[in-house]
Amino acid sequence: MVLIEQEATRLSTSTVLDGYRALPGTYDELVEAGGKTRQHALMVANLLGNMNADTFARCQALAELALSQRGVTFSVYSDNRGTEKVMPVCLVPRVIGASEWTVLEKGLVQRLTALQMFLDDLYGEQRSLRERVMPADLIFGSKHYLPQLKGMKPPGGVRIHIAGIDLIRSPDGVLRVLEDNLRTPSGVSYVIENRLITKRVFPAAMDRIGVRRVDDYPTQLVETLRSVSPEDPARSTIVVLTPGPFNSAYFEHSFLARSMGIELVEASDLFVSGDQVFVKTTLGPRRVHVIYRRTDDAYIDPEFFRPDSMLGVPGLMRAWAAGQVTLANAPGNGVADDKAIYPYVPDLIRFFLSEEPIIEQVPTFVCARPADREYVLAHLDQLVVKAVDEAGGYGMLMGPEASAAELDMFRERITSDPRRYIAQHRIELSTSPTWVAEERRIEPRRIDLRPFILTGKSGSWVLPGGLTRVALRAGSYVVNSSQGGGSKDTWVQEDATP
Amino acid sequence: MISRVADHCFWLGRYIERAESTARLLQVTRTLAFDAELPPLYCWRPLVIVSGQYPELASHLGADAAGNGDAVQRYMTWAPDNPVSVRTSIRAAREGARSIREVIGHDIWEATNELYLWFMGEAAAAQYLHDRDEVYRHIRRSTQLCLGLVRSTMMHDEPMDFLWLGVMLERVGQTARTLDMHHHIQGAAEGQQPLLQTALWLSLLRACSGFEAYMRREQGRVSREGVVSFLLFEARFPRSLRYCLRTALALFRRLAPTRSGGTTAARARLETLDRWLDQQEKDGLPLSEHALLTHVVDEIGAACGELQGGFEGLAEAEFISRQAQSQ
Repeated sequence: MVLIEQEATRLSTSTVLDGYRALPGTYDELVEAGGKTRQHALMVANLLGNMNADTFARCQALAELALSQRGVTFSVYSDNRGTEKVMPVCLVPRVIGASEWTVLEKGLVQRLTALQMFLDDLYGEQRSLRERVMPADLIFGSKHYLPQLKGMKPPGGVRIHIAGIDLIRSPDGVLRVLEDNLRTPSGVSYVIENRLITKRVFPAAMDRIGVRRVDDYPTQLVETLRSVSPEDPARSTIVVLTPGPFNSAYFEHSFLARSMGIELVEASDLFVSGDQVFVKTTLGPRRVHVIYRRTDDAYIDPEFFRPDSMLGVPGLMRAWAAGQVTLANAPGNGVADDKAIYPYVPDLIRFFLSEEPIIEQVPTFVCARPADREYVLAHLDQLVVKAVDEAGGYGMLMGPEASAAELDMFRERITSDPRRYIAQHRIELSTSPTWVAEERRIEPRRIDLRPFILTGKSGSWVLPGGLTRVALRAGSYVVNSSQGGGSKDTWVQEDATP
Repeated sequence: MISRVADHCFWLGRYIERAESTARLLQVTRTLAFDAELPPLYCWRPLVIVSGQYPELASHLGADAAGNGDAVQRYMTWAPDNPVSVRTSIRAAREGARSIREVIGHDIWEATNELYLWFMGEAAAAQYLHDRDEVYRHIRRSTQLCLGLVRSTMMHDEPMDFLWLGVMLERVGQTARTLDMHHHIQGAAEGQQPLLQTALWLSLLRACSGFEAYMRREQGRVSREGVVSFLLFEARFPRSLRYCLRTALALFRRLAPTRSGGTTAARARLETLDRWLDQQEKDGLPLSEHALLTHVVDEIGAACGELQGGFEGLAEAEFISRQAQSQ
């Protein structure tokens, strides 16, 4: 591939970037409105300036072949067994400047700290409800609030060991929180795989440019998990619990277990005896101390949650409550990333930390509030409406593009069950130059960013960058991989100051 | 190691070995059918019979199908509903590898996945039409690559031992079946000229990847007794019944601390079989080849049945009751 890059330098007369312009009214991550390249993104402009459409197409094909051979896939539930698809990737990286990242990192840790304190409070003394920072009926109406857990403290003290916070950039250039994922956020394996692919396809470029590394995530994760073990960390057994090979994120479960050097287990491999958890091995049962579980709350313990679930480990919650096993993330976190709770997070930061939020979020109408509801119903055709208990881009209304029938349907749903809905004005998500295979050229496509934050006994660590998802279809705002989204390598510039 | 994973390792070994062995058998039989002046039915039907799929093939495609080389090859290579087709084996190997990727490591996973993607893609389908021999060769090389990677990249401990146990038990069954298949062909060629007889023995050796090894050992002398004793008892030949059985038993001994009922029963059965084969050799092979091989295939099948789901060191229920008693 070094050859291809050199050849490109020699031969190219027109480059893939020729004529690239930002969309009107939208922030572009590479160029300013006038077409000038942003300072921190010069490295990408230089890289692409060396390539014409043919060389780029060759690199892109090589990358796709490599991903398919490495088996970097996700599953879509179009049939019972799930069909595997290769995660679409665009080779044009997204760059975040060093100074912006420094601020973002602080803001993410601040947000996580407040959310963790909020959960401790909710399952503890509930000061935030008594002092009316958070409406109590919102909490008690959330299906993710688990009153049975009140008074229980998680072994190791941490509740949100792994968080993924979704950010988007509005046209004013401000990165805002769109959504918190405090249960089983996924996507980090693509971050690491994308970087491997970039290194393989653009070796010379990666050599020259100072980009912060991402491959130490598994080491950080396993140390995080070890630090919260109920037993001596040095003698603790840690496992990853997966729902199995047909789960959409199975590749990631296997990837993480492999790169952490720990066992990947399914629920049927575990059992509970005397409030302790054991894994069935060829040498007989072995005690397990920490479980990084990638199954939802509802499916971890049929005794506790859903008797119909085949995925659970009977008695697991008893063992957790007895302090004999750490679950990462802790059960019950869903109440804090509920979309209906999201509008209150800035107030939670002020209440628990006495600080102003560092990262802004998207102004949100809460349909449970009568005044907000009235506004939403009157402006439905201008708003994005989201069901609070749906994820993955499902259960959404895109007001500006919706048909009259869809608008009517949502109007009725909101009126009959207002608590289930929130609404926001549509944000013109920022764009990044993206390879469009059919057109054989690079065009702006909308993106978001999901940074990952790990929290162990000694505090939080933020993976530099995170997962950039891109809506590959022209004009689309939906970045979810289940609905035509892809991903990009995310480069955080090395800090120039020593 | 996790019991479920041990089971996956065992089956991964079996499927990879089975894909290799089926491809080799098809490749060799195809050559035989071109050369040996035998009617196609005599070449192809035994292959289907020993694979255990004769009734299915006949009911799907008619009784004549077993005499149609193309139909047999298509059925044994591509048929998704044939439990022993190359396609079924490659697919199952890949599914298995995917579910224990963190145990076998990246290289083995990638080699298995690449074979699967190639085989299911257009390239293999096109090549099958114009250069079929190369398709079989590709499958054999890729599966051999996987097995080579098993020995050279995995830790030589439990997961590899279970995987290799799968390879050995699959292989001993395959060698026994191939020899038995030859018995069928040979029967059909009874009374034919000696030249053809020799060609058939050489074909059998090739079907077991043993042509060159045999020729070196016997310095070019081809005889029924020589070939049969080579494939049954040559302890230095890695596809002979004795080699595979002894290797499997050595693996069982290494896995000794595994205290499950399934592994104990399977091990005892294989030890008995090994002694029985020794006795057969001493007594100068009193049984017919077919009877001897049928016994071997049946015993291997029974041992694999005992292993099925029997990788749990100490059953959960027993553990819990012991724990309750000690409190």
